[in-house]
Amino acid sequence: MTGLEIAIIAFVLMLLAIFVRVPIAIAMGMAGFFGMWAFLGKTAPTLGLLKTLGYDTFSSYSLSIVPLFLLMGQFATKSGMSAALFEAASDWLGHRKGGIAMAAVGGCAGFGAVCGSSLATASTMGQVALPEMRARGYSDALSTGVLAAGGTLGILIPPSVILVIYAMLAEQNIVKLFMAAMVPGLLAALGYMVTVAIYVRVRPDSAGTAPRVPYKKRFKTLVKVWPVVVIFGLVIGGIAGDWNWARPGIQALFSPTEGAAVGAVAAGAYGVMTGGLNWRGFLDSVLSAANATAMIFLIILGAQVFNSFLATTQAPQQLAEWILGQGFRPYIVLAIMLIFYLVFGCIMDSLSMILLTIPIFLPIIEVLDFGMNAEDTALWFGILALIVVEVGLITPPVGMNLFIINSMAKDIPMVKTYQGVFPFVLSDLLRVVVLVAFPGITLWLVGVMF
Amino acid sequence: MVLAKSAELRVGRVLEKITRALAFCGGFILAVIALVTVASIIGRFFLFAGLGPIKGDYEIVEMGSAIAIFAFMPFAQFKRAHVVVDIFTMRLPQRVQIFLGFVGDSLIALASGVIVWRFWLGLAEKIPYGSDALRSALSMGYKPFFAETTYELSVPIWIPYSFAFVGAVLLFITSLYTVWRSLNWTLEGREYQP
Repeated sequence: MTGLEIAIIAFVLMLLAIFVRVPIAIAMGMAGFFGMWAFLGKTAPTLGLLKTLGYDTFSSYSLSIVPLFLLMGQFATKSGMSAALFEAASDWLGHRKGGIAMAAVGGCAGFGAVCGSSLATASTMGQVALPEMRARGYSDALSTGVLAAGGTLGILIPPSVILVIYAMLAEQNIVKLFMAAMVPGLLAALGYMVTVAIYVRVRPDSAGTAPRVPYKKRFKTLVKVWPVVVIFGLVIGGIAGDWNWARPGIQALFSPTEGAAVGAVAAGAYGVMTGGLNWRGFLDSVLSAANATAMIFLIILGAQVFNSFLATTQAPQQLAEWILGQGFRPYIVLAIMLIFYLVFGCIMDSLSMILLTIPIFLPIIEVLDFGMNAEDTALWFGILALIVVEVGLITPPVGMNLFIINSMAKDIPMVKTYQGVFPFVLSDLLRVVVLVAFPGITLWLVGVMF
Repeated sequence: MVLAKSAELRVGRVLEKITRALAFCGGFILAVIALVTVASIIGRFFLFAGLGPIKGDYEIVEMGSAIAIFAFMPFAQFKRAHVVVDIFTMRLPQRVQIFLGFVGDSLIALASGVIVWRFWLGLAEKIPYGSDALRSALSMGYKPFFAETTYELSVPIWIPYSFAFVGAVLLFITSLYTVWRSLNWTLEGREYQP
């Protein structure tokens, strides 16, 4: 058998194992181990690799961003920033038709700027925004749908844990990826707000209005979101800002890992200051961050074994050459990949999908001609992949954000939430089409800064 | 018919305490990493005032995160935090689903056994101590000629390896326990939220 055949068989068997509830990390690791055995006829290379793979992976300087960002997000959750964000947004938008729902989107976008995880964003904003929307007579469908969708802004707007992983797999600059995600992230927030506006015009009974708030109070509550602005500015400004104009190029204040540490300390300090982060809260945050970290890194470890097998077989390169040889149109290939993500996103979590597919898809994308240089193509593809895998969080049957929001309002049937999120999924799909058609939207900020 | 249910519950309570304590240790290490990094940045910023970055801050982050992440593993396994896809098995009979959970736990136990075994060999290669007899008894391989150290702080690399190894060993123990636990769940026909 050729390497490509063995790789395909291993991949299919791995998917089957995943589908019968084998933990994803273990399925990847086993497929890599047995695949390598079948390909090389011996186990020594993998066993040798495993002597140091665990420590080497977990001690990676660039990957240590992940637990630090998770800790930062947990501290931010405990510090009451979500309430301040939502209050400010609803003071400014609440009097419009559907305004509280728009405010929820705005709050999610703001919280996404200090939190790199979608689930944390959805649950945190859900706690403050859901009771308010229900009290104002918003329909069950709209209020749960908008929050589930808004939660995905947590990962679209930097910092973003998945982009850190993508940067590792694609060997791209993490700062450039964050910058590339910025405009599409804001576009997502805008798109969701427009969706709300259309939604309440089609279904006028689905939303109420809140009384108009005088400007004096609006500015007063707006000022209260300063910690978010400061922390976001510190982290993103520190890792992407140019702090020494005298020297050429971007002279950043610190590395992305250092930025994550600064963010964690700043969010923690603010939490302690407001009293939201007491000893109990600190221990809670640590445990939540610990479990999420363990989960992510076990998958990374499994994926490392699988990817070293893929690299040995050279299967991704062979597949890429074959596709190039068939003369498929680049955009058709890209569309197939994105559809694959959408379909699999319905059943698998986004991180596993990225770890599983990027080593296969990226070599293919790199040999196709999209009229851009290799780096721009990789950045652009990374953002597209990030968006489409995140759509999986809000599509039935397995949309984690839907579950999280729905579990907060036990009396709302799941079907209502599915109905409510549907227009937002459409908005996501429309955005993907726009970003595919105009790569400049994604790459503009990177081009301006670097 | 279950396998020593009360003993299983007792062991579970003890293991939960131990794994949680280790996860907290990891969390504190993570917090320390963050603080050291911030201190180092501040020091670097005030270079003109005679302060400076903390020596080897990158290495501290690397060692610390490896130890912390290994320390997080056992508690996550105890809580069954690892990602599975259950959409295709949801329609199956309850007992089959619980049995699949048992299979998953067994595979994690197997994998973590392999991880501990290989990790031990990798660690032993870095420990420059022990007589030849002792080393061969513990299958530690040849004694390294000199201890491999980190670049800036000259910390012998076997030290952070050993701390991380603690997490890996406890992961193996915990996953063996979870096999026992999910076997009992299968026999009982009921699954609990750990």
